[in-house]
Amino acid sequence: MALKEEKVLVIDPDKCTGCHSCEMACSIKHFGKCHSYFSRIRIQEFRDVNTFIPVTCQACEDAPCLKVCPMNARVRLESGAVVTDEDKCIGCRACIYSCPFGAPVINPDNGKTMSCDLCMDDPIGPWCVKACTMQQAIKFVRAQDAARAKGRDMAKLLAEDYMPPKQEEGDFGFSFSV
Amino acid sequence: MKVVIVGNGIAGNEVASYLREHGKDKDIDITILSAEKFPEYDPCSLPYFVGGEVDRNVVFRKSLDHYKKNRINLVLDNKAVSIDSNAKKVTTEKGDVFPYDSLVLAHGGSLFIPPIPGVNLDGVLSCKVLAEADKLARHKGTKAVVIGSGAIGIEAAEALKLKGYQVTIIELLDWIMPTLFCEGAARFLEDEMRGYGIEVYTSEKVLSIQGDGSVESVKTDKRVIPCDTVVIATGVVPGRPLAETAGVACDRGVLVNDQMLTNVDDIYACGDCVQTYDACTGEGCMYQLKHNAIEQARIVARNILGEKAQYRGAYPFARAHYFDTHAVTFGKTMKGAERICTLDQVEVLERSTINGYLRLLLKEGKIIGGQAIGKMADYAGLLMGCMWRGEDLHEFIENWPKIAELDSPYPWQARKLGQLLGLSSLDAKPGKGLERVYAILK
Repeated sequence: MALKEEKVLVIDPDKCTGCHSCEMACSIKHFGKCHSYFSRIRIQEFRDVNTFIPVTCQACEDAPCLKVCPMNARVRLESGAVVTDEDKCIGCRACIYSCPFGAPVINPDNGKTMSCDLCMDDPIGPWCVKACTMQQAIKFVRAQDAARAKGRDMAKLLAEDYMPPKQEEGDFGFSFSV
Repeated sequence: MKVVIVGNGIAGNEVASYLREHGKDKDIDITILSAEKFPEYDPCSLPYFVGGEVDRNVVFRKSLDHYKKNRINLVLDNKAVSIDSNAKKVTTEKGDVFPYDSLVLAHGGSLFIPPIPGVNLDGVLSCKVLAEADKLARHKGTKAVVIGSGAIGIEAAEALKLKGYQVTIIELLDWIMPTLFCEGAARFLEDEMRGYGIEVYTSEKVLSIQGDGSVESVKTDKRVIPCDTVVIATGVVPGRPLAETAGVACDRGVLVNDQMLTNVDDIYACGDCVQTYDACTGEGCMYQLKHNAIEQARIVARNILGEKAQYRGAYPFARAHYFDTHAVTFGKTMKGAERICTLDQVEVLERSTINGYLRLLLKEGKIIGGQAIGKMADYAGLLMGCMWRGEDLHEFIENWPKIAELDSPYPWQARKLGQLLGLSSLDAKPGKGLERVYAILK
C-alpha cells in the first residue's frame, strides 16, 4: 500500500470523555439517523473506571478480514480504508470475529457489516473528527505522522517501564492501536 | 522466468497476482492450468449463490479480461495429469506440454465421495465446485438430505431450506460440525438448527441411496428417509496423484517445508492440497481454509521472487452462520487437542450468559482454542490475539486486580478480555486516579 497522502484516524483514549458525539456524527453522516447502532465508530465503555475508548476500523496493513470473508465483500479502497461491499455481504460476521479489535459493526437495517470509510466522499473529512473538535480524542493525520507518533509512544513506554505516558500539550498521547 | 500454476483456485490466483504485482521488474511468464471451465471463483460463496442470497456473478473473483490485462495465460478445461521433474515439464490430459522454471501445485482437493451404493443416481449433487453448484441451483425438488455436516454441509442445508426444501442433515459422528466445535457448543447449534425447521440426525450411518434412475430415499442404519435430492458434503480429500507423478513426498496432503517448497526442486505447493504445521503448536496439520491458502500463496510467490520468506504456519478459524445463528471457532477443539496432549492437561473455561456462550480450552494456562456463540463471539479476535501471543490466562486472572484498577497501563483489550471472562471490576485495587480524588476531597 503506497503511503502517498494516506491519512488515518488516530485515537487518543485518554482524551475521550464518552460523550458519544462521534457516534452521532457518524450515524447522521451515513444514515441521517441519530443512534449509536448506526455508527461505524463505537465507544467501548468501562464506566466503573470512567474509561472510554472509541474503537473504529484501523484498516490494518495485512487485514485479516480481507482474507476470511467468504464472499470477498471486504474491499480496500483507494484511500486505504477497508469497507464492506453491501451487494456481496451475507452478514456472516467473519470479519468481526477475525478482527483484533472487533471493529466492524452490524448495520441494523440489513444485518450486513459496515466499517469506517473515512468519509472519503466528503471534502470536510471524517465527521467523527469534526464532532470531537473540543476533546481532540480523534485526529485525522497523515499515515507517516501517525507512525511517528506511535513510535514515540512506544519509546516512551519502554523508557518508563511500561507505565502510562505523561500527557503533553500537542502530543498525540498514547494509542493502544499499535 | 516461466511459472506454471496448477489450479485456478484462490491459492493459485493469489500466487499469480502477487507475482504480477511485486515482480514488475522481472519478466515472468505466468500460466495457470485449470481443470474447470470458469475464471477464478470462490468456493466459500457457492452455498449462498445456491440459496439465492446473491447473484451468480458475485461468486467470481476475477473476470477473463482480468487475466488478459495481467498477461496471465489461463488454460481452461485442461487438467494437468503428470509432471516430469527432470525435464521440468507438465503434461495435461489433452496432451499439451508446459515447460516451467517454477511449478506451483495449487489444485486443492476434491470432494470425498463415500463408498455407498447409489451415489451415481440422478439427484445426488454436491456444492464444492461451481459446475455442481449450478446443477444444485437449477435442481427442482422438495425434500433434500444432506450427508455430512461440515461447514459446506451446514451452509448447503441452509441454502436448500431458503429455497423451500424440506431438509435433513445426517452426520456419522456424534455431533454436527465435529471438527469445528466441541460437544456442548455443537449441541446448542444443533438445537438451533432444528428450531429453523431442519432435521438433524447424528451418530447415524448412511447405508445406501435408493432409487430407480433418480433418488427416491436415503437408507441409514436407523431409518429410511424419502427424498428427491441428496447433497454430499463429506469433506475434501487433498489431490495427491499429480504430485506423486513427480515423486513429491505426500502424507495426508503434499508435504512442504517452511518455504512452501516440496522435496523436489522448484516445485512449490499451497492451498487445500498441502499438509503444513500449526502456527501455535507446530504439529502437522491440514486446515483447508481460505485465509491459510492466501497466506501460503503469498509465501510461495515471495520465494519464487527470490525472497527467503518463511511461513508462520496454518491456523484454524471458522465461523458457523445460518439464519440468525452466529458462532465462531478458532484453534483446537477437544478432539484436536487430543493430538497434541492428553485430555487431562486441557483446562476448559466455559461461560454462558444472556449475551451468548463462550468456551476456552487452555493448556498450561495458555489458550489453545475456543468457541463462541452469539454476541460473545464478537470479540473472538481478542481471544485469538491472546492465543497468538501465548498469554498466560492464569497469570491474567491473578493480575486482574491490577489490570482493572483506574490508572492501569494495560490496553483496553485487557479490560474487555476480563469482561468476557466474567471477572468483576470490583476486585480492582484503587488506582492512582482514585487516590487523586481522595486527595482533592480531603
